[in-house]
Amino acid sequence: MNALTARSRSPRADAASGSLRLDAVGAAAAFALFAVLANLVEEFTAFEWTLWATQAILALSLTLVWGQGGIFSLGQAAIYGVGGYTYGFWAINLADNTGETLTAVVAAAAAGTVVAALLGYFMFYGNVTDVYVAIITLATSLVLFAFVNSTSGTAYRIGDAPFGGYNGMTRIPRLTVRLPGAESHELTRTQFFLACIAAALVIAVIIRVIARRPFGRISVALQHNELRTELLGYDVRRHKLLLFTIGGAIAGFAGALFAAWGRFISPPVFSLAPAALVVIWVLVGGRTSVAGAFVGVLVVKGFSSWFGGASGDNEPIVLGLLLIVIVLALPGGIVPSLQRARSWLPSRRRTASESTSSPDELRHIGAAATLHDDDDQPERRIAVQGVTKRFGGLAAVDDVTMAFQPLGVSCLIGPNGAGKSTLLALLSGQLRTTAGSVTLDDHDLTKWHPYRRARSGVGIKLQVASIYKSLTAHENLWLACYAKSHNVESAQVRSSELLDWLGLSDDAERPAGTLSHGQQQWLEIGMVVGGNPRVVLLDEPTAGMTRDETERTAALVTELGKRASVIVVEHDMEFVRRLDVPISVLHMGSLFAQGTFEELSNDERIIDIYLGGRHADAASE
Amino acid sequence: MSADRLFNLGFDLATTISILALVSIGLAITFGMRGIINLAHGEFIMLGAFATLTGVRQGLNIWLAMALSAAIVGVFGIVVERLLIRWLYARLVDTMLATWGLSLVMVQVVENVYGSVTEGIAVPVGDFSVGAYSMSSYNLVLMASAVGGVVVTYVVMRRTRYGLHARASVQSPTMAESLGVNTSRINMWTFGFGAALAGAAGALLAPLVGVIPTMGQTFVARSFMTVIVGGPAFVAGPVSASGLLGFVENVSTNQFTPVIGQAMLLIAAIVILRFMPQGLTGRRSLR
Repeated sequence: MNALTARSRSPRADAASGSLRLDAVGAAAAFALFAVLANLVEEFTAFEWTLWATQAILALSLTLVWGQGGIFSLGQAAIYGVGGYTYGFWAINLADNTGETLTAVVAAAAAGTVVAALLGYFMFYGNVTDVYVAIITLATSLVLFAFVNSTSGTAYRIGDAPFGGYNGMTRIPRLTVRLPGAESHELTRTQFFLACIAAALVIAVIIRVIARRPFGRISVALQHNELRTELLGYDVRRHKLLLFTIGGAIAGFAGALFAAWGRFISPPVFSLAPAALVVIWVLVGGRTSVAGAFVGVLVVKGFSSWFGGASGDNEPIVLGLLLIVIVLALPGGIVPSLQRARSWLPSRRRTASESTSSPDELRHIGAAATLHDDDDQPERRIAVQGVTKRFGGLAAVDDVTMAFQPLGVSCLIGPNGAGKSTLLALLSGQLRTTAGSVTLDDHDLTKWHPYRRARSGVGIKLQVASIYKSLTAHENLWLACYAKSHNVESAQVRSSELLDWLGLSDDAERPAGTLSHGQQQWLEIGMVVGGNPRVVLLDEPTAGMTRDETERTAALVTELGKRASVIVVEHDMEFVRRLDVPISVLHMGSLFAQGTFEELSNDERIIDIYLGGRHADAASE
Repeated sequence: MSADRLFNLGFDLATTISILALVSIGLAITFGMRGIINLAHGEFIMLGAFATLTGVRQGLNIWLAMALSAAIVGVFGIVVERLLIRWLYARLVDTMLATWGLSLVMVQVVENVYGSVTEGIAVPVGDFSVGAYSMSSYNLVLMASAVGGVVVTYVVMRRTRYGLHARASVQSPTMAESLGVNTSRINMWTFGFGAALAGAAGALLAPLVGVIPTMGQTFVARSFMTVIVGGPAFVAGPVSASGLLGFVENVSTNQFTPVIGQAMLLIAAIVILRFMPQGLTGRRSLR
C-alpha cells in the first residue's frame, strides 16, 4: 500500500484535481531537467538513457497491473516483445511509402492491447487467479520464445520483413515523423530520447490519475479482497481484464520504442530473463509507486553492471541474489514494509470493552432515516425452487423449496452441517446450484454471477467478516456505496452517514483489520447496507460478540427488516428469540420445519436434531 | 493404417506422456502438498542431468549415476528448503520470486562451471524394431520409470507414516502441529522428495536431450501446465493431465512441428482451465 490508498483515504474530488496539477507540474519539471541534461551530455549518452526510458515504461505497465490491481503478470516482457516485432513489421513494410513510423508505434500498442485482451479473457473469465496468472503468462512467453526462435528462413515473413528466427529482426527503421505538408524527419538521438522520456512521464501521470479515480480504488480493493469486491456488485473479471489490457497497451508501446531504439529485436525478449528483469525492477523500486519504476530500472542496472563483472556474464547471479534478498528482507519493497509495520499495532480486539462504541449508540439506530437513500426500488421477493447443491457425493442442500417474505426478518437455524451457509451462498451466487433455481421476483438468478445479483439488490454478510482489512473503515464503506451509486460525491456522503450510523466515526481512518471483532462485523453489515439492498443475507452476524454487541446487532437487524427482506442464519438462540420472527429449520440439507420461536421450541423433533435422541445417528454426522 | 505404424504411433505417444509425467510429478508434490510454486523446478531437473553427466564422465555406471543424481538433487532440495523456502510458506508470490532468483543463480553457476556447450550422454540401451519401424528401448525405460515414479509417490503418500503426516499437514497445519506432527520437518522432507523426483527426471532425460544449463526452461512451463491442469490430486492429477496434454502435444508434433506441439499443449491447457478452473481432478465446483 502506498500513496494510492493514502490518497483514496479521504476521497475528495477537489483534492484529486489538485494532485493532478501537482503531478503535471512535477512531470513537466522532470522533463525540463532531462531536456537540459540531454543537451549537455554527448549524444551517445542520451542514446543510452533512451533505453532506460523505454524500460521504465515497460516497468510502469507492471506497476499498473501488479502494483495497483494485484495481477502478478510475468508476461509484460513478452507483450513488449510483441510490440517490438509489430513495430518492425509495420515500419519495414510501410515506412518507405508513408515516410513515417508513428503509425507503427500505434500498431505496436494495438498489438499489445489485443494480446493482453485475449490472454486476459482466458485467464480472468476462467477464474484463474494469483500465481496461476503468473504461470500462464510465463508459459505463454516461453511458447512465443520457442515459436519465434523457429522462424528462420524465408518462409517466415510478413511482406518485406522476415522474422529472422534466432538472429532476430534487423534493419528496423528509426522513429520517423512527417508533419502534413512537410518532409519526413528521422528523429535525432537526442530528440528520440526526449520523446521517450516525455512518453514515460505522461504514462506515469496517467497511472497516478487512474489510481485516484474510482477505477484505481476498485483495483486496489479487488487486490485485497476479490470476493468482497464481487459481492459488493463489481464485475471483478471485467475490471481485471480492462486493467490487464491497459497494461498490455503500455507494454506494447514500450516495445515499439525499444525496437526503434536498437533497430533490432530478437527472440530472447520472450525468454525467462527479461520476464524476471521486469519483476525485479518493479520489486526493487516498490511495486505500488510510480516513481519506483524509474528508480528500479536505474538501481538494478547499476547493481548488475557494478557486480556483474566486466563481461556481464555474472549478471544473472547478481539479479538472482537481489531477488532472493529483497523477498526475504523487504517483501514487496520498502513502502509496503513500512505499511505492514503499522498494522502490528496492538489489536483493538483486546481492548474491545473500552472501545469507543458503547451500547449508548443504540440510539443511532432509531434515527437511521438514511438507511436507504432512495425508494424507487420496490421490495423484492427471493425464493428457491427445488434447489440442490452437491459437493462430490454429499448433498449439502437437498431439494429445498422456499420463498422469503419481501419485507421483514426471517431466521434460518439448524445444527452444524445443516446446509444454512450453503443455502445463503446459493442465494448470493458464490456457489452455483447443482439443480433447481433461484429467483428474485420474476428474474431467474440461477446462472447469474454474484456481482449481478448484488446489483439487483442481494447483499450478503459472510460468516467470517469479509472486509478490506488494510483499507480504512471509511474506504470500506465508500467502496460499498460507490458500487451502488457510481457517484464519487454521493458515495462520500453516504459512507460518512453509515460511519455515524454504525458508531464507527472515531475509527473511520483506521485500517479495518485493527477494529474489534464486533466492529468488523458491523462494518461488513454497513457495507451490505451501503449497497442499498432489497435482500440482506446475514451469516451468523453475532458470532463472537459480547452480550451488549449482540443486543445492538439485534436492534440493527430489526431496523433493516423494515426496509428489506433480511435472512439471518444464527446459532445464538437467545438472539433468535429476541428477533421474534418466522423461523425455518434446516436439517441435513432439507427444510425440516417452519414456525415461530414458540412453536418450534415446543417441537420434540427440533430438540432431537439439536441434542440427539431419536435422530442421534443422523445428527452425529 | 498398418499395425506396425499404429504401434509406432502409440509408442511415441506413450513416450511423450511418460516424459510429461516424469517432469511434473516432483512439482506436483511440492505444489500440491505445500502450495509452493518452485520456479527452480526446471533447474532441479537440469542439476539432475548434469550430475548424471558428471558421474558418467567419472566412469560410473550410468544407472548408478542416475540414482546418485536423484539423491544429490534431493539433498540439494532439502538445503534449499531450510535456507530459503521455509521462511516463505503461505506467501505464494514471494516463494515464486525467491525460487526464480534461485533458478537464475543456478543456471549461471552451472554455466560458469561447465560452459554453455551442449553435452550429451550415449543412450545406454539399443533399439528394437516392430515391422518397418525401429524404436529406442530406452523409451521403454522412461515409461517404466514414469510408472515407477507414480507408484512410489502413491505408496509414500498413502502407505507411510511420513505420507500420513504430510497429508495431515496439508489439510490442517495447525491441527497437525497440535497433534504432535513436526510440520516444519515434514515440509522439509516433502520439498526434498519433490526435488529428488525432479533430479531423477533430469537424470533419465540426460541421454535424450542436450544437457545444457538452460535446459530447465524447456521443462518448467510444460510441467507447470501439467500440474495446474491436473488439479489438486497429487497422483491422479499429473497422471491424467500428462495423458491428455501429452496426447495433444504428440499428435500436433507429428502433424506439424515440435514448436507447434508445445504451443498446442499450452493452448489446450489454457482452454481446459477456462472451463475447469480447478483442474481435471478438482472436485470443488465453485461457480
